[in-house]
Amino acid sequence: MTTPNFCGRTRREFLWQTGAGFTGLGMTALLDQDGFLNNQTVAADGETQWDNPLAPKQPHFAPKAKNVIFFYCYGGPSHIDTFDYKPDMYGMDGKTIEVKTFGRGGHKNQGRIVEPRWKFNQYGECGKWVSDLFPNVATCVDDIAFLHSMTADSPIHGSAMLMMNSGRVLSGNPCLGSWVNYGLGSVNQDLPGFVVMLDPRGGPISGSKNWSSGYMPATYQATVMRSQGDPILDLSPPSELADGGQRRLLDTLRQYNGDHAALRSDNSNLAARIASYELAYRMQSEAPEAVDLSQESQATQEMYGLNDPKCSTVGRQCLLARRLVERGVRMIQIYSGGAHNDDNWDAHGDLETNHNLHAGETDKPLAALIKDLKQRDMLKDTLIVWGGEFGRQPTAEYAKGSGRDHNSYGFTMWMAGGGIKGGVSVGTTDEIGAQAVDDKFHVKHLHATILHQMGLDPNKLSYFFGGLDNKLVGVEGAQPIWKVIA
Amino acid sequence: MQRRAVHIFSAILVCTASVLADENAEFTQDQVEFFDSQVVDLLKSNCLSCHSGKSPKGALNLTTRAGILQGGDSGPAVDLKDHAESYLIQAINYEGYEMPPSGQMSPQQIGVLTKWVEMGLPWPKDLHEIEFEVHAGPPPVNEENKKFWSFQPVRLPEVPAVKQPGNNAVDAFIRHKLEAAGLTQSPAADARELVRRMHYDLLGLPAEPMELDRWTAKISTANAGELNQSAIAELIDHLLESPHYGEQWGRHWLDLVRYAETNSYERDSAKPHVWRYRDYVIQAFNDDKPYDQFVTEQLAGDELSEPTADSFVATGYYRLGRWDDEPADPKLAIYDEFDDIVTTTSQTFLGLTVNCARCHDHKIDPIPQKDYYRMVAFFRNIQRYGQRSQESVLSASVMQIDRPADARSYQQAIANYDKSLKDAEKQVSKIEKLILNDLQDVEKEDFQYEANRVRIVEKRQGGILDDRQVKNYKKQFEKLQHLKANKPTGLASALCVKEDVTNIKPTYLLTRGSPHAEADEVTPGFPSILSPPDAVIPPMPEGAQTSGRRKVLAQWITSADNPLTARVMVNRIWQYHFGRGIVRSSSDFGFQGTKPTHPELLDWLAVKFVESGWSVKAMHKLIMSSSAYQMSSRPSEQSFAVDPVNDLLWRFDMRRLSSEEIRDTILWVNGSLNKDRMFGPSIYTDIPAAVKAGQSQPGSGWGNSTPDDKVRRSIYIHVKRSLLDPFIESFDFADTDQTCPVRFVTTQPTQALGMLNSEFILQQASVFAEFIRETSGDSAESQVTAALTRAMQRKPTQVEIERGLELIESLKQHNNMNDEQARKYFCLVALNLNELMYLD
Repeated sequence: MTTPNFCGRTRREFLWQTGAGFTGLGMTALLDQDGFLNNQTVAADGETQWDNPLAPKQPHFAPKAKNVIFFYCYGGPSHIDTFDYKPDMYGMDGKTIEVKTFGRGGHKNQGRIVEPRWKFNQYGECGKWVSDLFPNVATCVDDIAFLHSMTADSPIHGSAMLMMNSGRVLSGNPCLGSWVNYGLGSVNQDLPGFVVMLDPRGGPISGSKNWSSGYMPATYQATVMRSQGDPILDLSPPSELADGGQRRLLDTLRQYNGDHAALRSDNSNLAARIASYELAYRMQSEAPEAVDLSQESQATQEMYGLNDPKCSTVGRQCLLARRLVERGVRMIQIYSGGAHNDDNWDAHGDLETNHNLHAGETDKPLAALIKDLKQRDMLKDTLIVWGGEFGRQPTAEYAKGSGRDHNSYGFTMWMAGGGIKGGVSVGTTDEIGAQAVDDKFHVKHLHATILHQMGLDPNKLSYFFGGLDNKLVGVEGAQPIWKVIA
Repeated sequence: MQRRAVHIFSAILVCTASVLADENAEFTQDQVEFFDSQVVDLLKSNCLSCHSGKSPKGALNLTTRAGILQGGDSGPAVDLKDHAESYLIQAINYEGYEMPPSGQMSPQQIGVLTKWVEMGLPWPKDLHEIEFEVHAGPPPVNEENKKFWSFQPVRLPEVPAVKQPGNNAVDAFIRHKLEAAGLTQSPAADARELVRRMHYDLLGLPAEPMELDRWTAKISTANAGELNQSAIAELIDHLLESPHYGEQWGRHWLDLVRYAETNSYERDSAKPHVWRYRDYVIQAFNDDKPYDQFVTEQLAGDELSEPTADSFVATGYYRLGRWDDEPADPKLAIYDEFDDIVTTTSQTFLGLTVNCARCHDHKIDPIPQKDYYRMVAFFRNIQRYGQRSQESVLSASVMQIDRPADARSYQQAIANYDKSLKDAEKQVSKIEKLILNDLQDVEKEDFQYEANRVRIVEKRQGGILDDRQVKNYKKQFEKLQHLKANKPTGLASALCVKEDVTNIKPTYLLTRGSPHAEADEVTPGFPSILSPPDAVIPPMPEGAQTSGRRKVLAQWITSADNPLTARVMVNRIWQYHFGRGIVRSSSDFGFQGTKPTHPELLDWLAVKFVESGWSVKAMHKLIMSSSAYQMSSRPSEQSFAVDPVNDLLWRFDMRRLSSEEIRDTILWVNGSLNKDRMFGPSIYTDIPAAVKAGQSQPGSGWGNSTPDDKVRRSIYIHVKRSLLDPFIESFDFADTDQTCPVRFVTTQPTQALGMLNSEFILQQASVFAEFIRETSGDSAESQVTAALTRAMQRKPTQVEIERGLELIESLKQHNNMNDEQARKYFCLVALNLNELMYLD
């Protein structure tokens, strides 16, 4: 017979009620070992027992990073026009060559070279070549590790985005941020543990599937947060309830619910629901405070480009990301680019117009984020990831023009902070950036690296569902990219 | 490769000698400690799962020092003379071999192993072999494993004798176990609580106040703790006759079959006519369609000897899943789609996770990989949902059924048709007019006949007509002919399964699940662990539209001697009544599933289910008539101490309402629920702009329904995979992408935010306040009383009424609210009560 040990319930029941359902948790053993199951917190009212599935959990080992900011360049930025320098391509513009490509236009065996449209210069002690699209990020290269040999399974936006966010090309799987919150919980119960900020031009295709918790409970899905206006859906009480009106409501509700629970004293779900109102109440004051960028100095605001209309939106998002990191939000994903066509990095038409626009919006805020975190000594705990669902082809998509089709055979992503080496570049693509050749990395290796830096063993973090111990990195597992780990 | 061959040759020569010579190597204590503290764990976590045991990979066993030096198929793993040339060192550096295959070890880890090799493989003297437990391979299909409880035939167990028999045999099984544990069943529930429980359980709705009073009085008796069983039986019948029963229980089924109305991915486009499947399910439950027939219609409704409109609609089952209309690997996508069907079919109907055997033999259950592909073979001939375009979906997955379209959609179709026809006629005649004067004598005659016109027009290409005009003429002409031949018939269309019988495809086992690695051909067959009969596919009759395979699968699944089908379904029925199944893992009856808490009861119910003619309603009556179902949910310290999880069923478990029940209840409480309008195309609720902003085209694929439609029951809300109604989603709506046997019940602060601040809830609170004002007079006291009565579904106490009045007073006094505002916010509190959200 099982004995009660958690809040008067057995472990099995606890897992059951916290949303694991019959599926159980792949982490059960781990939880036991860390005493998580005996770890209770008290709700914000200071009285009610509250066992929050987002309560902080012990990592598998000492983490290098506490938080992740994933700066997602939706649409797929061109690697050879940004960070993957291809000197041999200059002078080749317009030449037709034999090259295998696969994009939305299907498989092709030859194409017309589109020479990189920007000049590259060397920066930093490491001498990294960076294009003129990112003059500000270029000043941070000694803090950045470039992954030039990324590969993914799909060159089609829908499935490729699901892969970058959830590790699979099929919809219905939990996203990276869900895994991180499932594995680690959140240290700040007054804010969501997984936040997504969208481009004001629109969400990415497939919308919420990109931040869904899939087969895990909704507890682990992202909350969309806005840097202007009401930061979280339904956060603001009606204005009629100012001056303590809402508190009066909640106090009355609490009395009713207290009486109801008294006769059902062993049902901790009732207590949890009472407590959830107090947490919501706290969130109503915490979240607006977090998004109040006016608390930042003029210098900081300028650094992020808040006074520059071109990059003020991304600037606000990056600055807000830093403030959320300070408040313990585990994972923040910022979307650069939204909606369709040239509203994001998907440069099928005019490459120059497209990339000038999106790089121009993001270069300054990104550099500010890295420098600001560094000057506050937070970069060491904060892992920044930059990239899109794939890169772009070296050749033109159409008979005329500079537009490039998608390329999942080889592309660049970069990471900074959170125990990642600075000033290094790993992996290479061929001389025109058509495909990865040395040290090929797959999206799952990127995921494994992120989880590893967060103190989670990517090959042990599992969730039992549908008869399988599912992992973000897939059933076959994946090792982190050791070469970029400091 | 050549270099390696030479190397192996030389290594073998050297090595035989070195193993012998090295046998008595001596190591310092530091070196041995280095091995113990750093090397062993590395080997265990990175190498030994393959390189240990009786048949290690590449014949290389790394659990003994001798084994390492001896090496495997490629020669010794370590060369003590030339460390850098050691295979082991090369492999972990990803030079030649790449070990471990899941990815390279960290530089620090590689350093440890390198150092160890350089030291000469220090090894503790007393350690013969590193102890390493290799995971046992997949369980084989053998007599031993066939004895597993759920693979055994269902047999009618004897009803145990108990000291205090309950209402029926169900209680005998439960009380028998309780007695053994020294416990007793809790007393009967309060009559009002039970009536409420039964209403929600069967209808998903509260009882109308008069009804609640009437039935409460009817089932109460003069004896405390005793209920009038004939009145309860009457109430069960009454509820089962309600058309809303099918909406509640149909929704459970929709969870299992991953019901959604769009395809997911970039376009997430709507599935045409998919709602007919939802209506079919609701109607099937209302009609108490025998479960075997229900299963057969979904799996093979098109292959019946006399298919009906209903049975065609039922095959929409195959079309409910995700569909990537531009997959990167089209061949893989085909098998992902089969996997979706195998997963849903095996888990839903059989409680087996056959899907785990796609890439290799099932690691936990005795289900060989071959059995997976044998199951795929039943479905192999199904046409894909579509190939890229919406037109392809119409051709592969939509057909007319023998049922009139509903008037509204027929009129719409006719209107669309007339418009297209007119457009095409206009375009065609515009060009014809241009050439009429140019026609020669014979041509004038010929031009009377439509068949000649394209030819005559083409003759003028480059003359009085340019290329574009001719091309457009041909296009419009063809369109016109097509339209004339395909006038809407007034028949309904449905989303159905179709097969392509012109090309019956073979099925292959796919090595490691890769569609690019076809191995042996397989034929349709049932999971071998169940000792099934052979799947005999009858020859296709002349003119057959399908291969007839799915019918054979359906016949086996629904045969009375299938050990799983009836057990799995009665367990689900039990689960939806009690909040959890007798087997908690209700879609996994395999080795890793949970064991039944009451195996005899499960079998007894399974037998009764089949005996009843697979009647789901008969099961409801049986289960709800039991004392177990009618128990109070109140705590008992004594029982709780012994069985806190309530595995023994000493009481009834409370439950929170589901997301649909919560929304429907709110609308019911404030008098606005439009529950009488059932069936038909789905409706669109108001989704806040902030939520739509997450779409790449905000608002796309989400329409606007009439106010009357917006307050229909939640089962009719459009299920768009990438955009769910946020209120419904936040209370743990079923995952739309995979079969969902049990919903989560989470409690989150964001739910509280939605229940306090959302446009939806504030609007409903206003409606509630107005409803109360209209129906219960002017006094604040009567209004508060009425509001609480509706929300709690009982008469409030005086204390509760006064508490509400105090809030209203205080809001008026401190927040300068008028009566209407204060009433509204009191109503908001009432909608938030735990008593409304939880059932006893």
